[in-house]
Amino acid sequence: MKIRVDLDLCQGHGACAAEAPEVFSVDESESRVIVLDSSPAEALRSRVEAAVKYCPTRALRIVEE
Amino acid sequence: MSAAIPRLSGGLPLLGHLLELRRNPIHLMQRCRDECGEVGELRLARQPLVMLYGERAQEAFFRAPDEQLDQAAAYPFMKPVFGPGVVFDATPEQRKQALRNRSLRDQAMRGHAETIARETERMIAGWGESGSVDLIDFFAELTIYTSSAALVGPEFREELGPELVPIFKDLERGTDAIAYVDPYLPIPSFRKRDRARARLVAFLQGIFERREREGRQCQDLFQVLRGIKGPDGAPRYGVDTITGMFISLMFAGHHTTSTTSSWALLELLRHPEWMKRVIEELEALYADGREVSYQALREIPQLEGCFKETLRLHPPLILLMRKVVQPFQYGDWTVPVGNTVGVSLAVSNRDPAVFADPQRFDPTRYGPGREEDQRGFAWIPFGAGRHRCVGAAFAMMQVKAIFSILLRRYEFELAQPPESYRSDHSKMVVQLAQPCRVRYRRRAAEPAP
Repeated sequence: MKIRVDLDLCQGHGACAAEAPEVFSVDESESRVIVLDSSPAEALRSRVEAAVKYCPTRALRIVEE
Repeated sequence: MSAAIPRLSGGLPLLGHLLELRRNPIHLMQRCRDECGEVGELRLARQPLVMLYGERAQEAFFRAPDEQLDQAAAYPFMKPVFGPGVVFDATPEQRKQALRNRSLRDQAMRGHAETIARETERMIAGWGESGSVDLIDFFAELTIYTSSAALVGPEFREELGPELVPIFKDLERGTDAIAYVDPYLPIPSFRKRDRARARLVAFLQGIFERREREGRQCQDLFQVLRGIKGPDGAPRYGVDTITGMFISLMFAGHHTTSTTSSWALLELLRHPEWMKRVIEELEALYADGREVSYQALREIPQLEGCFKETLRLHPPLILLMRKVVQPFQYGDWTVPVGNTVGVSLAVSNRDPAVFADPQRFDPTRYGPGREEDQRGFAWIPFGAGRHRCVGAAFAMMQVKAIFSILLRRYEFELAQPPESYRSDHSKMVVQLAQPCRVRYRRRAAEPAP
């Protein structure tokens, strides 16, 4: 799976970083997400899905390869 | 090659469609949609307002960068409420700085949920076995405490009392669209607004000056903001600027949350089958004995569906606007610099192209397989894009916490004819019209503490 971020929408709430800290972090000064791992391992799938689901601005998507 | 933007009929020589906006804004915005289509122009006094309708046009609006569509300049009626140097009267850079507020971050939510549960319990502590309550009075007071305790700090909250309710009401009633002519006209609602703001400023400054005088350090937002140093090493924000920031912070979460909570309870009372489902859901959820502060952060699908449906049918803001700073192109149309562009939440949230049977209260539309709220540029009670309400997650958690307590402790019923509950759209800030009373009675079976 690959992660797509829509930076027009991200406000840096950090819900994704709370769900999947291996994959997401927040750039404090810019108030936006940093994707640490844009093709995370399959083992992280459920946590990445939770990050997508709980993003308050719906800025994240999973794209299957 | 740019096509001519259709103009809406009607409108007066000097005032344009301003009086119609104050009388019946939703009708005006729907009329513009019906007459002009996707893009249509109306006029608020001298200000041309180009309305954009439908998912595609709304997406273009919400995706446009600040350098093209400016939020600050589009709301002249807010500037006298917040004061100079605050949110709607600041440069994009200052605004970014001011909004870099950690208290709305995800990690802070658990603590906020505890605060909200505690404040709700305090508000109903004196309710007794049965009685009646005006929904706006109740929720307006409660949300002053929750937002001040959660977003500023617990000591600050203890300084506040019910005397702030009428002050906020006067501020909110001061958002008259006549501000498009002149936001400082000597009319009663603006005079009340300015008096209310002056009282609030004096009140907040009294708190902060007492703190500084006593050398008291509170671990809260005031201290954080005071601690930010400018390039010259002096405090970057004066007490007056912080006061304005607090007004904007509390204002944003006040009428919005109190109106939504009121309408949600009314819709549940109008749809007893949903009230039953929600109560069953809450009882099952809380059967494990865990705290409200824990559960309010989890999914409560039936209740959330009811809130989403309440927000769709009764959005507390009905018109979002931006000032055009660089020409804004959409389809064959170009909106010139100096115009305002707008999106109507009230029209969009009932768009039959997106929402099946749009006038109907139907929380199942957010369930698996339908998920009509995922149409991110059509279901827009919180706006969308970069300026989407930063407090949306906080607000949702807050109403879940409040209703988890209210609905398990008390039964409610309408105390007025059902059609007498209505929104007052005469001001830009929408509010449920008062009186809006309901009766309550303590539930026979008290839930375990």
